[in-house]
Amino acid sequence: MGKKFFNGNDDSAKQLKTYSKLFKNFTMLTIVCSLIPLLLVGWGINIHYTKFAKSRMINSIQSRVEHHAQIINLFLEEQSSKLKLIAFTHSKTFLQEPANLQHIFEMMNREHNVITDIGVIDENGRHLAYIGPYDLMDKNYLQAFWFKEAMEKGIYISDMFMGFRKEPHFIIAVTRSEQGEKWILRATVNSQVFRSLVENVKIGKTGEVFLINKDGIFQTSPRFSGNIMEKAPFPPGQYHGDVKVNIFKGSNPDSGFSNQITAETWLPNPQWKLVVKQDYSEAFADVNHANFATLIFLHLSALSILIVAIFITKYMISMIKKRDIKAESLNQQLMQAGKLASIGELSAGVAHEINNPLAIILTERQILLDLFGITKINDTEFCKQFKASMDQIDAQALRCKTITHNLLRFSRRTQSIIETIDLNQFLEEVIDLMEREAKTSGIKFIPDLDGTLPPILSDPSQLQQVFLNLINNAIHAHEGISYGTIRIISRVDEDKKGVQITFADTGSGISKDNIEKIFDPFFTTKEVGKGTGLGLSICYTIIKQLGGSITVKSKINEGTEFTLFLPFDLPAELKESMTNGSQNE
Amino acid sequence: MIGSKILLVDDEIIFTENMAKLLTSRGYLVTTVNNGESAIRKLEEKDFDVVVLDLKMPGMDGITTLKEIKKLGLFTETLILTGHGSVDTALEAIKIGAYDYLAKPCEIDELVEKIEGAWQQKDTDEKKDMQEKIQRVIESPSDAFKLFKKKK
Repeated sequence: MGKKFFNGNDDSAKQLKTYSKLFKNFTMLTIVCSLIPLLLVGWGINIHYTKFAKSRMINSIQSRVEHHAQIINLFLEEQSSKLKLIAFTHSKTFLQEPANLQHIFEMMNREHNVITDIGVIDENGRHLAYIGPYDLMDKNYLQAFWFKEAMEKGIYISDMFMGFRKEPHFIIAVTRSEQGEKWILRATVNSQVFRSLVENVKIGKTGEVFLINKDGIFQTSPRFSGNIMEKAPFPPGQYHGDVKVNIFKGSNPDSGFSNQITAETWLPNPQWKLVVKQDYSEAFADVNHANFATLIFLHLSALSILIVAIFITKYMISMIKKRDIKAESLNQQLMQAGKLASIGELSAGVAHEINNPLAIILTERQILLDLFGITKINDTEFCKQFKASMDQIDAQALRCKTITHNLLRFSRRTQSIIETIDLNQFLEEVIDLMEREAKTSGIKFIPDLDGTLPPILSDPSQLQQVFLNLINNAIHAHEGISYGTIRIISRVDEDKKGVQITFADTGSGISKDNIEKIFDPFFTTKEVGKGTGLGLSICYTIIKQLGGSITVKSKINEGTEFTLFLPFDLPAELKESMTNGSQNE
Repeated sequence: MIGSKILLVDDEIIFTENMAKLLTSRGYLVTTVNNGESAIRKLEEKDFDVVVLDLKMPGMDGITTLKEIKKLGLFTETLILTGHGSVDTALEAIKIGAYDYLAKPCEIDELVEKIEGAWQQKDTDEKKDMQEKIQRVIESPSDAFKLFKKKK
């Protein structure tokens, strides 16, 4: 028994392990099957989107630089052509006149204060006329680099330089040859105006725009990384005609940029490089934000899939468990039925084989009794003993007969006589019958009968046998207990379409080991000779035959509950016999 | 009825012998056979009032024997006495025409009681038949010869 118990425990532990393994496998499978596609799609979308956003971002910064370079270029070209126009439409003599130059200066600055000063310089570098805020009339520019350039090229736009005025500025100089004599019209572009034109392009919080010349000197002040006329911390690079966009990820000591995106283009004249620069993180904030959102979305989706997978798997496992339990109980029922059927066949044979010798024993006894009746025997002691023995033979033979007849009843499908029965009334009669017997043992009957119970078709004599048997057992279960109750409950079972009758006692209960065997023939816990162990087997057979079922629940020292189910719809065999019966009548 | 002719059919030889002793001592004229075929032969040879028949026998079983007996068309009642006691077979036997049914083992008094009942039934049937025949002879005397010849 101990071994069996251990095995049972081992089995259930094994089963639990199987369920948890199943749970793990199912969950993993669901997660893998749903998460991998999700991650792949998310990853794909992310890569595609990042690429797309990056190229858009680069395009936009590129066009921005292009556009800005164009504006600066236009500005410079406009100023150059204005100056050229003035130089070539006016003679030196005219311009030499301060009043005329003043007038032209005012005309040039009529709309915007673009020009700081203007001067006419002869081929020896001397000022012929000068209009402007500085005192430069006596300055000689023969040695000035721009003077040489202008004389050589005809038109020259200088880099930023300090010059005589000691502040950063640049000039545009136009050379004209008049009657074999060269002279220069030179104008200083208003640095403020020019710088604001270049610098006043706000690009986010970290963006800056600046110009550097070929030598890497700042031509305007960047917002953060230096000042005008200072050397830029990065090399100016070679002149090229198109717009270049560079992304510097991580610190890049060679380039002078770290985590930045730059776009650069060279102005044709003067050869200044326009640089637009922004922190990478800011430039790509939108992309990063989108990436972050995608990541959160992915995580949330994964989490929800995980939760759903776990819930679904749990639900599935519980369903499988339920199915397993159902299958198990069905299996047990089948086994029980099979066992009973084989025992039934066996016992029928045994009963028959025993009945014949019993009959012979009884006839032999009768012959002896007959002979004894006609023979004169004086020994009174013998006569007494003989009679007693004969009686005992008769009693024991009858006992055997009871057993064999019960066995036959258990094994043989006896013909049922089907009638319409009011179960409640029928139960009341049975209770009334048994109450008298139970009274002495202090047991109370508590009938709880459903008044709405419809009459059913069944075999009253067989049912009576079952009811009496169950009540009898319930009374016996109270042996050694001074008082107790037997509840008899009748209910309509809507689900299974029939009637449910429960006999619940408060007796000693049935142990777990015994409960599996109670429907087996010859199983009894009563003393030898007191019970045949056939009562419940017969009940089981009868109820099965009537198309119903019998189940038992028990707790040791608390009581036992037998529940019968009888269907409204009789099995086909019984219906057939019923119609046959009525035909015979 | 003392002097009734009883045919005991059972494959248990000791049982038939014992029963024969007991019934003989109670005034019956008992013949015993141990299978169905012998029983039919005996019935064809001799008149019996009551046949006590076992159901489970080797060879011709009780139910077949009963059917054969019924085919003979005798005024003999059959009482089933079997160890293979089930209501089903009993009802089947009664449907075929057995008088009653008794389960082995049984008390001799019980058996005697049933035999008496069977004899009574047989007697009533015989008398009724005789009366019918007489009635018919009265109604149509020309048929009388035919009638009596047919029976037996």
